[in-house]
Amino acid sequence: MLLEVRDLHVEFRTRDGVAKAVNGVDYGVDEGETLAVLGESGSGKSVTAQAVMGILDMPPGRITGGEILFQGRDLLKLKEDERRKVRGAEMAMIFQDALSSLNPVLSVGDQLGEMFTVHRGMSRKDARAKAIELMDRVRIPAAADRVRDYPHQFSGGMRQRIMIAMALALEPALIIADEPTTALDVTVQAQVMDLLAELQRELDMGLILITHDLGVVADVADRIAVMYAGRIVESAPVHDIYKAPAHPYTKGLLESIPRLDQKGQELYAIKGLPPNLMHIPPGCAFNPRCPMAQDICRTEVPPLFEVDREGVDRAAGDQEAGVRTSACFFWRECLDG
Amino acid sequence: MAEAILEVSGLVKHYPLTRGILFKKQIGAVRAVDGVDFELAAGETLGIVGESGCGKSTVARMLVNLEKPTDGTIKYKGEDITKLSGRALKAVRRNIQMVFQDPYTSLNPRMTVGDIIGEPYEIHPEVAPKGDRRRRVQDLLDVVGLNPEYINRYPHQFSGGQRQRIGIARGLALRPEIIVADEPVSALDVSVQAQVINLMERLQDEFDLSYVFIAHDLSIVRHISDRVGVMYLGRIVETGRDAEIYDHPTHPYTQALLSAVPVPDPEARERRERIILAGDVPSPANIPSGCRFRTRCWKAQERCAREVPPLAVPEEFRFVEGPAAHDSACHFAEEKRVVPPEEPPEQAT
Amino acid sequence: MPEQPPYQREGAIAATGAGGAMDLATSEGATLERTPGGPEGTGPQEKPRSLWSDAWRDLRRNPVFIVSGLLILFLVVISLWPSLIATQNPLKCDLAKAQEGSQPGHPFGFDGQGCDVYTRVVYGTRVSISVGVCATLGVAILGSVLGGLAGFFGGVGDSFLSRITDIFFAIPVVLGGLVLLSVVTSNTIWPVIGFMVLLGWPQISRIARGSVITIKQNDYVQAARALGASNSRLMLRHITPNAVAPVIVVATIALGTYIALEATLSYLGVGLKPPTVSWGIDISSASAYIRTAPHMLLWPAGALAITVLAFIMLGDAVRDALDPKLR
Repeated sequence: MLLEVRDLHVEFRTRDGVAKAVNGVDYGVDEGETLAVLGESGSGKSVTAQAVMGILDMPPGRITGGEILFQGRDLLKLKEDERRKVRGAEMAMIFQDALSSLNPVLSVGDQLGEMFTVHRGMSRKDARAKAIELMDRVRIPAAADRVRDYPHQFSGGMRQRIMIAMALALEPALIIADEPTTALDVTVQAQVMDLLAELQRELDMGLILITHDLGVVADVADRIAVMYAGRIVESAPVHDIYKAPAHPYTKGLLESIPRLDQKGQELYAIKGLPPNLMHIPPGCAFNPRCPMAQDICRTEVPPLFEVDREGVDRAAGDQEAGVRTSACFFWRECLDG
Repeated sequence: MAEAILEVSGLVKHYPLTRGILFKKQIGAVRAVDGVDFELAAGETLGIVGESGCGKSTVARMLVNLEKPTDGTIKYKGEDITKLSGRALKAVRRNIQMVFQDPYTSLNPRMTVGDIIGEPYEIHPEVAPKGDRRRRVQDLLDVVGLNPEYINRYPHQFSGGQRQRIGIARGLALRPEIIVADEPVSALDVSVQAQVINLMERLQDEFDLSYVFIAHDLSIVRHISDRVGVMYLGRIVETGRDAEIYDHPTHPYTQALLSAVPVPDPEARERRERIILAGDVPSPANIPSGCRFRTRCWKAQERCAREVPPLAVPEEFRFVEGPAAHDSACHFAEEKRVVPPEEPPEQAT
Repeated sequence: MPEQPPYQREGAIAATGAGGAMDLATSEGATLERTPGGPEGTGPQEKPRSLWSDAWRDLRRNPVFIVSGLLILFLVVISLWPSLIATQNPLKCDLAKAQEGSQPGHPFGFDGQGCDVYTRVVYGTRVSISVGVCATLGVAILGSVLGGLAGFFGGVGDSFLSRITDIFFAIPVVLGGLVLLSVVTSNTIWPVIGFMVLLGWPQISRIARGSVITIKQNDYVQAARALGASNSRLMLRHITPNAVAPVIVVATIALGTYIALEATLSYLGVGLKPPTVSWGIDISSASAYIRTAPHMLLWPAGALAITVLAFIMLGDAVRDALDPKLR
């Protein structure tokens, strides 16, 4: 495993109380693997990623438990200056909003080149050459001419490419992309997603893709981890989850997508709203919204069950993709429909 | 088709680009909307899709008279509403209301829910007598699925989905005939989007509403719309019934758009063809000559730079019956199925 | 995700301004939903909160506000009824006691004219507070009306007003005061207040204009327009209540600076003139004797500093309470 997050807990202390943003998250990603972390706002998907990167705002945030193993080392035990060496060089992050992530008063060439002058001690001239090479690599047309341009002179899609170039500059082993295409137009989204997937394959990196979009996930992910109220409620290879979800929340999300044959009918809608993180319901956090909830769901927190894949119509070619888990007492019933 | 309740023709909105501080000089124009025609029949839902900057929101704002068009007419029941002002305009506003995209900025944070939903009655006092308003507001809350006791709460006490319900209740207060919804669910969580779409469909039946539904999410537009118009750089490039557009698109932009939409089905990605467009959308201040899509089109020829393709049934399909025979503004229109036919779902729920 | 508008609270996490926690922003009030067919939500009932009651709740817990608020309350009370704590007449002086130090019944000693410094400091509060309050009111009303209208209507009037404010910003305040006030012979506080309003309104006007322009673009203003609301309704019901917070904050802080400015002008001899009792005048006349009788200078100067500080602290506390995102 390249990265393994184990039983991570994160809280936010606020004026109005303690918000439990992450409540025992486990996930892992291998070299060359794409893990999609799927969740709605408030599910803790971004907070987990920020904890992994070590860019969580503390305070108000606080990591109250768990470990983050990266290439065997527990990142939470590292000193800040050691942590900083990991960041950027060994793991990098791509954000949703490329415009605010780039410095508006530095040319993109300078910003890309800085990665090499600071981390690799290159001369400015070599760094500039490297910057052009990177821009070529993310397919920015006429890179050599545009290297002196400032971020605002690029379109949204091009800026996101520059962000990707920056993340790739030092060839990290792991990339975390937090909603990398959400701010982009549909036709540009496809370009950027394709580029990211291709570069990942080329460099054999681990990729954690954080998103709320079931469609994007289906297109690029190998595995999916579905988060709800700060926990992973289901984790599975991508084909399995779409074929037969093993958690009622995942099932609800998939069913609420408008389908052709439902034209004119009422859409399936998960009732209610995501929970308030200050008052997470006891038992299974999803129980007030769950059509399958029983008494046990209201009192006991379901552990992660291993889902055996018998009865799941397995697609060819994903045998190696690891186990499935579900945090539902009734995963069997869920699988059966 | 039922009688058209709204007829839009030749709608244009140009924003002048000026230079100078006190004495302004026009140096160009952003052609946000550049000649849009459509009709809306009573009880119908017209979906308008397009990417950001295509002008769809500007169209919405002109329909509800928040912007004056530079040119063109919007006829509501035969009367051009773009020239109205004063009392006549106010009367028309009662019949065309809007639901906004962002439920966080569309409700005044200093007003209670009761004041927000009751404001239409204060502006149009003839609709409801004073003593009756509170009850009406509570009825509206009930209709949109909120507890009528929440009447004294403030917007920040509600979640995004609930706020959008409040916005819908405000839009319904005057019992309009047309609701223009500008991306009404795109700011909401996935699990809440379906709730709001269902609500809008139920209200359409209950109140006999006609919708102009503007969105960039093609699957939601398809679900709710009877007809769909695809916009690119200020113009409708293809329009037709939903199945015509989704299953038999003839305009290359529509085909690219449909093929780019991520499909939540990992097996479909192996079956479908991807068209990845080169480059970005040109600036609306500098629209290409001829066909405005030609700079990104893989079929573009010399003719496309010279001649503006009209929005009409293309020649190839003019004498054929069938779903491909719908309006498409392309010189080289051809049918291409980009979304693979969906398999029947494994289980019906 | 849409960015949230200023001055609005959604979830406590967002209010901390932690960009990293935006993910959590919609968690508040999550149990209120009642969907068709769904069960009634059973969440903890919270009492309705508005921005002002929220701000008040914040302020009451803020020690800076408590200290500055009590101090200002005290200053206002003694400016209205100075005889509560000072029994003597500030104008009754005995030259024989000139420059004498502290003695029983005269804790602050005597000034150059033999007047009781304590009494004069207490009576000086009245002038400082009234100049500060009147100037601030004038500036706030003039500035926010002009700025607000310019922001709302835009166009040529707005461009014109913006240029005017630029011109006023270019005038150095003290130099302007020296020139303008030196021709005034009136012995009241009104010319000074008038001068402050004249030079102060562009500051508030700029804030009000910016604030109105920001608020005007919000969808709820557009929604009201789409309903057919009149301009006056838009201004009074939708824009003013949302745009007023920054004006209040800046005005409160400015109040302190106007008090200091009054003292400065009086010190320079163009502000208030004797027999008006003012800290500025006393500081001015005491400055010649700073080596021999420093107490004559220190007491009024100290009172001035504390008063100005109190208002600036109050302004800071109000800003924190009204705009938690700035923290």
